Parts: sequence; structure tokens; C-alpha cells
Amino acid sequence: MRTRHFVAGLAVLALAVGCAPAQSGPAAAGGDEKTGTVRVWLFDEANRAPKEAVVKTAITEFKAAHAGVEVDVQWIPVEGRADKFSGAFNDPSNAPDVAEFGNTDVASYAATKALADLTGDLSAWKEGTDIIPSVLDTAKADGKTYGLPWYTGIRALYYRTDIFTELGLKPPATLAELIDSARKIRAAKPDLYGISVGGKYTYAMLPFLWASGGELAKSDGAKWTSTVDSDQAKAGVTAYANLLKDDICPPASCANLTGTQSVQAFSGGKAGMTIGGDFNHKAIEQGTVKGKYAVVPIPGTTAGSIAPAFAGGNLLGVFNATKHRGLGTEFIELLGGAKYQDKMYTAMGNLPTLGSVQQKLAASDPFLKPFVDTLKAGTKFVPATPAWSKIDSQNVLPTAVQQIATGGKDANAALADAVAAMNKAFGG
Amino acid sequence: MVTQELTSPVAAPPRRRPKRPRDGRAAALYLAPAGILLAAILAYPIYQLILISFYDYGQPQAAGTAPLVFIGFDNYAELLDSVTFWTVLAKTVGFAGACVVGSLIVGTGLAVLSTRVRALPRMLLFLAALGAWSTPAMAGSYVWLFLFDTDFGLVNEILNAIGFTSMAHHSWTFGTFGAFGLVAAEVIWCSFPFVMVTMYAALQGVPDEVVEAAQLDGASSWRTTWSILLPMVRPLLMIATIQSIIWDFKVFTQIYVMTSGGGVAGRNLVLNVYAYQQAFAGQEYGLGAAIGVVMTVLLLSITGLYVRSQRRSDSWL
Amino acid sequence: MAVIAARRRKVKKPGRLVAEIVTVVIAGLVAFPLYWMVLSALKPTGEIQSANPRPWTFSPSFDSFERVLTVSGFGRFFLNSVMVAVAVVVLSLLFSFLAAVALTRFNFKGRTVLLVMLLVAQMVPIEALTIPLFFLMRSVGDVAPAFGLNELGSLVLVHLAFSLPFAIWMLRGFVAAVPVELEEAAKLDGASRLRFTWQILFPLVAPGLVAISVLAFIHAWNDFLFAKTFIISKTENQTLPQAILVFFKPEDTDWGAVMASSTLMTIPVLVFFVLVQRKLVSGMAGAVKG
Repeated sequence: MRTRHFVAGLAVLALAVGCAPAQSGPAAAGGDEKTGTVRVWLFDEANRAPKEAVVKTAITEFKAAHAGVEVDVQWIPVEGRADKFSGAFNDPSNAPDVAEFGNTDVASYAATKALADLTGDLSAWKEGTDIIPSVLDTAKADGKTYGLPWYTGIRALYYRTDIFTELGLKPPATLAELIDSARKIRAAKPDLYGISVGGKYTYAMLPFLWASGGELAKSDGAKWTSTVDSDQAKAGVTAYANLLKDDICPPASCANLTGTQSVQAFSGGKAGMTIGGDFNHKAIEQGTVKGKYAVVPIPGTTAGSIAPAFAGGNLLGVFNATKHRGLGTEFIELLGGAKYQDKMYTAMGNLPTLGSVQQKLAASDPFLKPFVDTLKAGTKFVPATPAWSKIDSQNVLPTAVQQIATGGKDANAALADAVAAMNKAFGG
Repeated sequence: MVTQELTSPVAAPPRRRPKRPRDGRAAALYLAPAGILLAAILAYPIYQLILISFYDYGQPQAAGTAPLVFIGFDNYAELLDSVTFWTVLAKTVGFAGACVVGSLIVGTGLAVLSTRVRALPRMLLFLAALGAWSTPAMAGSYVWLFLFDTDFGLVNEILNAIGFTSMAHHSWTFGTFGAFGLVAAEVIWCSFPFVMVTMYAALQGVPDEVVEAAQLDGASSWRTTWSILLPMVRPLLMIATIQSIIWDFKVFTQIYVMTSGGGVAGRNLVLNVYAYQQAFAGQEYGLGAAIGVVMTVLLLSITGLYVRSQRRSDSWL
Repeated sequence: MAVIAARRRKVKKPGRLVAEIVTVVIAGLVAFPLYWMVLSALKPTGEIQSANPRPWTFSPSFDSFERVLTVSGFGRFFLNSVMVAVAVVVLSLLFSFLAAVALTRFNFKGRTVLLVMLLVAQMVPIEALTIPLFFLMRSVGDVAPAFGLNELGSLVLVHLAFSLPFAIWMLRGFVAAVPVELEEAAKLDGASRLRFTWQILFPLVAPGLVAISVLAFIHAWNDFLFAKTFIISKTENQTLPQAILVFFKPEDTDWGAVMASSTLMTIPVLVFFVLVQRKLVSGMAGAVKG
């Protein structure tokens, strides 16, 4: 019987599908039930116990305030998130109510129309005005806000205090000085990379590009056009690619390094400097360089300036198909509010997105100062279009950097290719 | 013992049974479970795959929030127009070819060796090989990377210690050939066991009388192997070769992990990783489907050519 | 058999010792990466990637194993993996045996076409099929909920579909090796075709079934792709490889735990292998068809 049902089901399926590829139906309209289970997706991490503890406290508080409500948290591995979210988009009945996601994914997720527009909710929220504007911008696509910024990731320059003292170097005040110091370190200590950065470490390259006055792309409102072949951008990319040379960070070792690997080399005592995030602090503390390093903002082109950093970070969003629109929003406002941002910082070291919490913490924890300074000096973001995730996954910019660094192509040719690939992704 | 004899590989070639009218219906019955399952879970998705390759089909289309647009052969045109695609294709053929030849040589060589040693060393070799075979691809790739790491790897440390000081900080994954070579070694490491086990079984199946008769006739060891043994084990060698071709052309994990996504400036890309990078990672399922179709056609032609090149191809099916 | 083998050995005695030493050295080389995997799992965190790699550790620690085993739900994931793998093994044995009998013993139109199709099916890149399969499974779930998305049944179905072509191919050779005369003799004794197939043919191809079961087991056991695509939101239905993914963090991968979980993943397969090793080899031999 089952087989017959199965075959019958297939026959119906084949008829229904006909000659077009399968598609999901548009998501059913959500609801605003006040009881039931709120399903939440949060990113899993190797050491998630502290994160879990904070979330549990929040759930207890939430449940106390809402009778008849359960909160079910599922931990999503960061590595497998793409499949999870695709699954949720293609089968809305299995989608959660609330999810944590990276801000670089906002534009492509928004294009599936699976996320709820939170613009109104956040402006009505009393803590909403406290969100740092440049951070809030990273949660927007087409002018609408799709997530509540939960925490921010900012990168700055880590350097070895012992080596700088030994060689009589000062923390670099300009990018030119940074390059010069890196060369001196490598010359004096051939076992070390002057600065450990990598061809695949796009977020370390971007400050160079932005500091030189370049931009990734410009938008005329309807369409994006790549601008990485402008003279300013070219100067920035070339300066970065020139770090991947034998006299600083030999291409044989560094051309293919990712951000993680670059930071690992530094924490393993292999480099005089690196570009790392506030979120790398714990890993570096566990490495051999503990107690022998300090952090300053990545300098700009002129003394005293700070290079614009990439504003990474994670958001909390609500799914459109949720049956608990109100409850979901209330839950992310609780978890993303000042109280729990503070707790999350203590538990995980996540840099808060609320101005007041950030100031309070920066005053009490000197480690945070360079990151907060960088944030204050102004951050930038990747083009807010779904095309960015494609450009990113196709390795467009790393390929250009690697070609310049290894001499495979000159800057003009490599960046011309990058422009072509980016414009194609933008739909040009 | 009965089992052994009856399933012995050189049992007389099965005679076609005399034609019976009832066979069609009986066959249908026997084929039904596998057939229905394969038609539903394999054939139908393959049909869908071909359909998708003619559409502009991305995540919004899959989620049903954007209209489907039929674009004919545009996905294929985009692919075949790209210079990178052809470079990647050529590299894939070279890389997979090396892996296939490597696994066949290593596997067959060790199978021959196994027939000439006593049980204990053979057992050790088989255990090691089976271990390599059963290691998850991701774990195997990372372990090899650890061993060949530029700064933290044991291999460079040993090379340095025994006098090759220039290798102290040699990067195995930087050069195009170095990286391909390292990955190929890992692929061969985990795919030769299948060939070895298969070929060992094949060699075991050759009656000793045949070999002894040849030796009595004064044939050299080399000649015995080449002109007596090889033809007898050819059917299994063919299965091993075809399976190796199919598996090695579809290598993904090893390249993706060991060259971190295709090497410096993409110079170690193979087709499957290229498809992932160009299409699936960016949710361009239409283009990805087109690459999948092209790859299947490619594998089919290569296998077809190989089968053609074998004299006894007619008796193969 | 043993007598013959002994006789053959005598012929090749010169150089045998050299051959045996070479064999053991090669076995050591092949096993070395496995040793390194286990070793890395046992090393304390700081030693895993150090500037002075040593092929031993003086302070072995089970911390990494502990981190893996205490991942919440590990036991459940392990059980799920076992259930999926066993279901796939049993069903693929059954289905492929029946199909192989039909393909070798029966005469019918389109036999060759079917065989070629089985080969082609193996050539399609699996990644490309995930989206069509996803939608298919969603529809299957409407008809038979136990085989829909989020359920282990969906994993059994896909792994079965991907194991069958190769299994049928291999098993065809084994069935073909059983002499037709045997069937005719059985028929004369009054055995029906069905009885012959189950009571005589099935046990005779046992070595082949063993070989196929090992391959199907590895296939289902090691799968990352479908497990993470199909099991969207039911955490309790995740399989073991998912547990490993947790240790890959973009900024700070826990290598000790990755190696420990890989070790734990490999052990069941290895045990399965060792148990059936003998049968596996004779099994492969049966796949020959003249």
C-alpha cells in the first residue's frame, strides 16, 4: 500500500511540476500568536557554554514575562549555515521564528523575502536610538532594516611589544610606516613575517583600499558598478599585495592565508604584526605571544588618522513566516538590549553595538580602546547587494591580490579582471 | 569451501539462459524495488537538474519569491565562453588522470606484492589500507596538511634534519604542481585501497595451474604477469579503472581543504570545486546545474573512450 | 587452497624476506597519517601545531575526546548515524541483490540500457543534485511523513539511491559467477525460482554482499552534505558528522576536537572492516565476470 501511495504521490508531483523546475511556494503569511514555542537559531561555537548560559538567563527572564511561552534554541554550526538557511528559505514550514546571522549575508537573505522588515520595530524600541548608526547601516538592504545588531567585529593592528622595543620601533602612525616597520622586522628577524596577512584575508585588505580613498563599488540607486580599478583603489590594493613579498611575508607562505591563518601565525609567534579582530583576542591570549603584544588602530595614510575598518558583526532577525511576530521581536529586543549585550561581552568578548554599553566597557577595559576608536573614526561596509556574497564566494578580490603578489598579472590587468567579474555579479 | 569454488572469478562464463517468455514479468518484479527507488530519487532529480540548467535559477527562485526565467542555453554559453572554465577543465583532466593512474599502479603493485608475502605482513598492509580508506575525506585532508605544513609540519622538519636545509620552510601548497602533487598523493592514499583489495581478489582468483604451466614453459616472471595474468584479471581491472575515473574526477573535499579553495589565484581549481565556487556557494543553481551536466557528459565520454580502447569491450556489459 | 598457496610460496622464496620488509614499511607509511590523527587528538592543545612537531607526546590528554563526547546530543547523533547506516546497508543489499539477479539471470529488453544508466547515474556530481532532491524530499514528506525533510527516512532514501548503482554493478558479477547448471539442478529437484533465489543463490553470493555492505556503510556513515541539507530544524535527527562541524569555527578551529571526532568516526568503520576483511577480499574476487 505504501508503495502505491508513494507512486501515486510521485505521479501527482510530476503532473503538478510539469516542465518547470521545482520551486517553493511563496511563504505563507505569518501570524502574531501570543503563546506557543518560539524557535530560535543561534550560531554554535566550539566553546558555547558561556554563550548558552547567557541565552538561558535571557530565556528564563523572557518566559517569566510571557506566560505560556516556550523558547527552543537550536545551535547552528557557522560552517554549515548556508545549507541551513537555504533550507529554511526553501521550506518555510521548517523555518525558525528568530535567527542570528552575519551582516554580510543580509542583502542576499533579504532578496529571498524570508526576513521580516524590522525598521518600524527598531525605531519604536526605546534602546533603538542607542544603536551606533554605522553599525545599524550594516543591517540594511534597500533601505529597510532586517536585523537587530547583536555585536560587532572590528579589526585593528596587533603588534609584538618585545620585538618593537628590541628594534627600537614605534607603533606605526601611517600605513607607510607600517610597511616600513614590517620590512625592518623581517630584515632583523628572518624567521618572522614582518606582518602576517594573507591573499585570502579580504577584510585586512579593505582598510588599505579605503584608506587610499578607494571604494569597492558605487551605486546609482538602481545598479552597482565596481570601482576597484580607480587609481586610489589600485594604490591601496597594490600596497596590500606588496606586503606579500619575500621581504615582509613571503608569498609562498602568505599568498593563500585566510584571516584565521594569519592570526594563528601571529599567536604562534611567527610574526611581528597582524591584523586581527576583537574576537581574536581569546585565541591570541592562548598562544605563545601572551603578554608580549599590544593593539592599535590600523593607521591611515596621514599621521594620526585611522584607516576605515570593515564593520563585521552578527544580527538577530525575525522570519517573515513566523507565527510569533510580536514575541520574536520582543525576544531579540531582550537579547540585543543593553543588559544582555553587557553579559555577552563578559561571556564571549563580543563588542556591543549599543553606544552606551560600548562606552562603559571601553572605560573599564583598556583592550577595547583601539577597537572602539576605530569604530568611532568611521567604518565601512561591503556593497549591500546580494551580488556581494557571489563576489565573495568566487574569490574575486583574493584572486586579484594573489595575482599581483605573485607577479602573475600586473595591478592593471588583475583589477580589470576583478571589475569585470564584479560587474557581472552586479548584473552588468 | 563450496562457496569459494562457486564464486571463484574464473568460473565458466555464464551461459545465456534459454529465452523464456516469462522473464520480462519476473524481471520487472525483481527490478521493482531498486527500479522505483532509482527512478524516483535519482532519475527524477537528474531530470530536474537538466531542467534547472536552462533557467536563471538562484536562491530567490528556489524560495519562490522571484519568477522563473527560461534562458535556454545561456548558462552553458556563460560556462563555455569562460577562459577559466577551459583552463580548469584541462587541469582537472590532468589531475584526475594522475590520480587514476597513481591509484591503479600503487593498488595493483601492492596487490601483487601481497600475493608474495606471508599472512602477517599482508594483514598489516591491509589493515593500514583499510584505515586509510575509511577515514572521512575531511579528516584525511587536514591530517596531510598538518604533516606537510610549511612551518609546523613534520615532513619539513625531517627533511631539514637529514640535510635538506633548503626545505626547512618549503611551502608544499604554493606551487601549482606542488599543490596538485600533494593533493594527488592524499587522493591516491585513500583511493588505492579499493584498487588493491579488488586486484588482490582478482589475482587470488587466477588458478595456480595457469601460472605454473606458464613458468614450466619457461616464461619469465615479467612475461607471466604481462601476458598471462593481466588478461585474466582484466574484467576486475576494468571495474577498478572505471570506478577510479568516476571518483577521481569528482574529487572535491581534498582540493577544497588542502589548497584552501583552489590554490593561490585559483590555480589549483578542479571542476567540482570550480562549480562550487562559481555557482553553489553563491546560490547560482542554474549555472551549477549546467556545470553538473557538462561534467557528466565529460565523464561519460572519457569512460566511453576507455571502454572502446579495451579490446574485449564487447564482453564487458 | 592452503596447500596450493604453500606450494606457490616455495617457488618464490628467494627475495620473499625483502618483499615482506617492503610490505611492512609501506604499511607503516600508509598508516602514519592515521597515527598522526590519533596523536593530534591526544596531544594537549598547545602541542598540536607547534614549531617543533614531534611524532609522540609526553603528556597525552583525553581532553579533546572529552570535548567531543560531551557535545550535547552526541549519543543521540551516534545512534542516528548507526540507524541510517544500518538501514541503508540492509536495504541496499536486498534491493541490489534482486536487481542483480534480474540483470544477469533474466532475459529482457533494455538490459544493456539499464546497465549503462546505472553507470551514468554515478557520474552526476552529487552537489548539483541537492536542490532537486531537497524539493523532492519535501514532496515525499507530504505523502509519507517519515521520509520527508527533517526525518532520518529522507537520509536513508538518498543514501540508498546513491549506493544502489554501484552495488548492483558489483553484485552482478557475483551472481553471474554462480553456474547456471546449479539453478537447473535445483529446478529438477522441484525448487521454485523464488526458492532457488533466496535459499541457494543468496547465500552463495554472501561475499559480494559483504563487499557492498562495507561500501554502503562508508557512504552513509561519512556523509556531511545531505545530513546538513535535509535535517533543517529537528536537532534530534542530526547525524554524527554534524557534531564535528561544531568544532570548525571561522576564527578559531579546535583541531584537537576535530581530530578526536575524526578518530571516533573512523573506529566503527574500521571495526566493521576488520570483521569482514576476509570476506571482503573473496567478495571482490566474485565480481569478476569473464
